[in-house]
Amino acid sequence: MVMTALTSLVFAGGNNEAGTSKGATITLMQNKPEIDGALKDYAKIWNEKTGNTAVVKSVGGSSSITLGQQLKADYAAGDMPDIFIIAGIEDYKEWEGIILDLSNEKWVKETSVAFTKDGKVYGFPVAVEGWGMAYNADMLSKAGIDPASLDNYEAYRSAFEKLDSMKDKLGIDSVVSMAAGPEMGWVTAHHNFNSLLSNGLPYGDMSVVNQLLKGQVDMKRLNEYADWVELLFKYADKAILTTGNYDAQVGAFATQKAAFLHQGNWVDPNIKAANATFKMAFAPHGSMHTATDGIFVAAPSFYVINSESKNIEAAKQFLNDMVFTQEGQDFMVNKAGMIPAYSNVKLNPAGQLSKSVQQWAAEGKVYSWNQYNFTGDFRDLTLAPIYNQFANGSIDKAKFIELMKKAFEGLK
Amino acid sequence: MNKQRKTNLIFWLFLAPVLFTFIMVIVIPFFMGIFYSFTNWSSSARADSTLQFVGLANFKNSFQDPSFIYSFIITSLYTVLNVLFINAVALILALVVTSRLKLKNIYRVGFFIPNLIGGLVLGYIWQFIFNNAIPALGNIIPVLDFLSNPDNLVLSKVGSSVTALVIVGTWQYAGYIMMIYVAAIEGVPESLFEAATIDGANEFQKFKNITVPMVAQAFTITMFLTLVQSFKQFDVNVSLTAGGPSAIFRGTPLFGTELLSLNIYNTAFVKNMLAEGQARAVVFFVVLVVISVIQVSINKKKEVEL
Repeated sequence: MVMTALTSLVFAGGNNEAGTSKGATITLMQNKPEIDGALKDYAKIWNEKTGNTAVVKSVGGSSSITLGQQLKADYAAGDMPDIFIIAGIEDYKEWEGIILDLSNEKWVKETSVAFTKDGKVYGFPVAVEGWGMAYNADMLSKAGIDPASLDNYEAYRSAFEKLDSMKDKLGIDSVVSMAAGPEMGWVTAHHNFNSLLSNGLPYGDMSVVNQLLKGQVDMKRLNEYADWVELLFKYADKAILTTGNYDAQVGAFATQKAAFLHQGNWVDPNIKAANATFKMAFAPHGSMHTATDGIFVAAPSFYVINSESKNIEAAKQFLNDMVFTQEGQDFMVNKAGMIPAYSNVKLNPAGQLSKSVQQWAAEGKVYSWNQYNFTGDFRDLTLAPIYNQFANGSIDKAKFIELMKKAFEGLK
Repeated sequence: MNKQRKTNLIFWLFLAPVLFTFIMVIVIPFFMGIFYSFTNWSSSARADSTLQFVGLANFKNSFQDPSFIYSFIITSLYTVLNVLFINAVALILALVVTSRLKLKNIYRVGFFIPNLIGGLVLGYIWQFIFNNAIPALGNIIPVLDFLSNPDNLVLSKVGSSVTALVIVGTWQYAGYIMMIYVAAIEGVPESLFEAATIDGANEFQKFKNITVPMVAQAFTITMFLTLVQSFKQFDVNVSLTAGGPSAIFRGTPLFGTELLSLNIYNTAFVKNMLAEGQARAVVFFVVLVVISVIQVSINKKKEVEL
């Protein structure tokens, strides 16, 4: 999967209409290859309306080439984009010196999930996203499993066992589509890892994170989490688990070769592209023995404006227009299929999984995303190989627990 | 005198574009890199990001990092295997396409073409072959059933992943090295073979006693090229294995096929330690220079002048 689309859209000239600034060119760098086309189309519309040009660059989709790396290279070359993405506090620290204070922007009043630090607003939330265990509702009802019951380890264990015994009848290769290969560290060491950090805790509760950062490990929690990881790996298709990429993982679910998928609502466009028509939704993770009735929902990434940019006004306008113009809203919700983070946007995304995230959020059954409180280095280079070892069967559960514990103890 | 000056002017004029580029993209970055390896440079806008000298700390930390040591070991292993395989395959191919064979020019082009495909693309193509095509083969042909067993996936184990890297490296590079051997073999005077034939030498004796010593010069070049190429391997490594699968070295879980270049890249851009990555690159450079100087001087001794 070559997901690095580094293309640019330059429309010189263009008609001038209303707008606060004209003729400026801003560069935007973002990390969602799946919305690259929609964003470029929107940039073209924005150019026609305002006379300003927005050049869109998309980087990402695999852990071997990431936005952070591209930004470092561009910063060293003195070619930093005007608008770029941060994914939380660790990224903020990396670019602290050049992130513009956006507290007085119009969109700030419309959202509750902006990136703030010390009472000031710095980041424009791109979208609300969420993940849990995506399930094929048709298949579960055929197997006589009530998705509402899936909220703890024991329920999942018996459900997986039952589905596994009905493989031939349901026409599936494996129960759950899970990936832990070398390129898929973000599924295990970012998303799955978060179950350990926030499942079952009140939204925004950092107690487990802070303990782990100090090197203190709650062994009961870690043991239960290891059971969950073992369960997921055990009932996954081994080829996809050890060597599969994103396409292989999502593809198995979309083509009804697996009943569950360990991904988030960002797979909606991929599932649509695969012409999947079955009913699907999210169930909570079963990483604990007690019931945890909620999925992981947050605004995980934020646009920030480069304070050294020559076109700050145009950059600010670009962000405001996305929230307050019809075209901007149409782009966010209908074209890119994202769940808007703004209360004035009344549109709803069409994707089934996005709708499911909205529903969980509306009921307030949500747990936070805490994985970004750990450095990318720790997640990608320390934790990811541990998950990969476990997935390959090179180590057993006891060794997995031991290595995880050792990794956390190395943090203090 | 005037003519002398004019020749000099033309000399420098022709050299200028290349010299300018060479200084801008090789010489200056090289010395800047050495400079940065002694600092805490990070290329970010952190609050505390003033440039400071840290002495040899970057080098010390590198040698204490198990992943760097592991990369050294796995890269050496990969280099030895790759040099052997590429040269063996290239020499065999060269002998084949210089023999009396129909369509030999087409074969030459065919063997050379993989070298024209970029390493990244090549890596993804072969990743597809190892992950999808080979297991699919196992599903179709009952005798090869074992291929479709996920436990036998080539890229799921460290040992077979290194083999996969060697296979792809050979496939990519053997054609190019073959061309060098072809040029050398065709340069061997026909009279030597004729004389040997009259003396009653068989094909193997002719190969051993005439071809090999006569193409020793080519060996110096091909060994050098393959050695450096294998040591610096990056693009195929990124796209084919992405450093995986993982391994455990000295009790630390790490990436099992992370060659040195990728280790340097990950240190710089994933760990966000650009200066330390740079320090590793300096170590890498020194090691590579030492090894290739030794290799060239050994090979040089074996060359024969006619």
